Amino acid sequence: MDAALLGLVTVVVGVGGCLAYFYFSNLFLDKVLFPASGPNAGRNINRANQIRPWLFLFPAIFALGLYLGYPVVETLRLSLTDRDAGGAFIGLANYQQMFGEPKFWEAMRNNMLWLIVVPAASTAFGLLSAQLTDRIGWGSIAKSLIFMPMAISFVGAAVIFKLIYDTRAEGQEQIGILNAVWLQFEGGVGSFLALKLLPALALLAFAALAGWLAWLMLRPLRRPTVPMWILRGIGAAFAAWLVILSLGAIVNIIGADLPYGQPQTWLTIPFYNNFFLMVVLVWIQTGFAMVILSAALRGIPEETVEAAIVDGASPLQVFFKIKVPQIMPTIVVVWTTITLVVLKVFDIVYAMTNGQWETQVLANYMFDKLFRANDWGVGSASAIIIMLLVSPILVWNVWNARKEMR
Amino acid sequence: MSDPGILAVTKAGTDPVRAQLDGPSGTRPRRLISRRNIFLYGTLILVSLYYLLPLYVMIVTSLKGMPEIRMGNIFAPPVEITFEPWVKAWSEACTGLNCDGLSRGFWNSVRITVPSVILSIAIASVNGYALANWRFKGADIFFTILIFGAFIPYQVMLYPIVILLREMGLYGTLWGLVLVHSVFGMPILTLLFRNYFTSLPEELFKAARVDGAGFWGIYFQIMLPMSLPIFVVAMILQVTGIWNDFLFGVVYTKPEYYPMTVQLNNIVNSVQGVKEYNVNMAATILTGLVPLVIYFVSGRLFVRGIAAGAVKG
Repeated sequence: MDAALLGLVTVVVGVGGCLAYFYFSNLFLDKVLFPASGPNAGRNINRANQIRPWLFLFPAIFALGLYLGYPVVETLRLSLTDRDAGGAFIGLANYQQMFGEPKFWEAMRNNMLWLIVVPAASTAFGLLSAQLTDRIGWGSIAKSLIFMPMAISFVGAAVIFKLIYDTRAEGQEQIGILNAVWLQFEGGVGSFLALKLLPALALLAFAALAGWLAWLMLRPLRRPTVPMWILRGIGAAFAAWLVILSLGAIVNIIGADLPYGQPQTWLTIPFYNNFFLMVVLVWIQTGFAMVILSAALRGIPEETVEAAIVDGASPLQVFFKIKVPQIMPTIVVVWTTITLVVLKVFDIVYAMTNGQWETQVLANYMFDKLFRANDWGVGSASAIIIMLLVSPILVWNVWNARKEMR
Repeated sequence: MSDPGILAVTKAGTDPVRAQLDGPSGTRPRRLISRRNIFLYGTLILVSLYYLLPLYVMIVTSLKGMPEIRMGNIFAPPVEITFEPWVKAWSEACTGLNCDGLSRGFWNSVRITVPSVILSIAIASVNGYALANWRFKGADIFFTILIFGAFIPYQVMLYPIVILLREMGLYGTLWGLVLVHSVFGMPILTLLFRNYFTSLPEELFKAARVDGAGFWGIYFQIMLPMSLPIFVVAMILQVTGIWNDFLFGVVYTKPEYYPMTVQLNNIVNSVQGVKEYNVNMAATILTGLVPLVIYFVSGRLFVRGIAAGAVKG
């Protein structure tokens, strides 16, 4: 059992070292530096107490500086240097090279797709299952099952879904669930309903939601003085663009000629394979969204709901006009948290397609550059891009957390 | 109508005539098939198909033999339950050249997880205590740094830490990975502990101090016993986070020290031989077993741990 022994040694050395440091540094402070005796004992005690917190925080500050502070600066520096020139400063050439690569733009496009789909889908499913499971007897069991994927690693989830998307040659029995289901469709009425009408309706619902959001953004603009009207305008334009996009997709789906009866290699269909990967992350993150939102739903004062019912509101109205507005802050928190996860998504793509077949994302692109192409210049540059994309949410989070700490 | 006596006399059941006139009383009985129920259960069934089917297929497939899998019938429960795939995944499955299964990865993961969890919790709890105990100049800045440290994406720090570990001679060893995990867990844990400690009533500390307890006395005799839940939450956060980590494992260690998740990926993606679905699924279950067991044992606290850790970089 050398494993156990090694672990034990590490723990003893680490914890013992820290305790010894804490103990002896305090002893040094109290007995040698500012002894609480002699002519100016009172002043010494005060001084010692001013320094004491820093004694305790020093290891943390040191470690954080070395492992968090320095690497960030170093990445920024590396992104401005060239490996082939022995680390010479080359300005923004790495960024130029990166912006010239189609793979990078593919990663950017896919990341944007992930950014739109995954937080929206996870939050929506989470809200739906939170609302539904609260109303039934075995809701807590359903909840704990939906939350279970959170406990499984991203890689594990990727492996499971690889089985689901698995393909075998035509004529053999299909083992992948998706192909087995797919082969049940033969192009009749049922296929039309399930594969064309249903997705079209789902897209229509999405378009309606985006349109509603655009309207929400634009509505206050009729009054001339609205703070942040530029942001609102951009948001509304973006939402309108989503509406147009999804309406176009509906036309495409209705008109598409689907290859019925042939097993598909799902992960190699360009563009759409992105969505098959997203399904994995949605599968994992819904549990998180559900748990948080369900707690928020339960925190809604009962009177507001009762008042609405007395006023004759339908269940849908109660949900969308009474409950959702009250838990909006929580929805925003869930949304941004999942957005952060999405921006850094790596394991799933790495394990399932490794960025082939146009599924590249930024984090995997960076990994490719750093550890396969051994090009730390461009790799660091893409890390900085990830950092830039994350930073608006990061700053917002920090600001919120600080407000909470007070 | 406030007098119960009158009510009792005119109540439906006591007067046979009234009972017939009024018809059934009480709330309307709920029909099993109503629009509400159809919507509710229909949606629930769809949702549970999406969330449970993958888990179900994973378990069922792992218990079947390969011949049975090749027959199709993915949804059918195994005709003949076999644990051979599990044994194979544990001790025989191949990753590249060596074929000793997941067991090595498991022990590596244990060797990585246990020390880093204990180290980071020990340091973070003392730090959180120090932050909660004293209000001092500069605490605010330290906070901001901690929060940034908790939220900043790992990708930005990935490569310079490789250089750092190489300089220290720790690159490719278990120690290096333990160090990285301990440090990266610290910001979020410190914030967690600090928040919990400040929520404890201040009178307790004052009383303890009056009774002569020092910094450590208060920490060990008052703080620790009172904050068991937060220690459990922190432990859950760290154990699941580190056990499920893939990126650090693949970047900072050599193949012989790969943690379980990396080995799982290598087993599944190894190209030689036939695809053994049952072994892959068994390996997935084995890899997820530790967090899953913790999940089922700790329940509500697990959710808190995950929720606290969800924001970190």
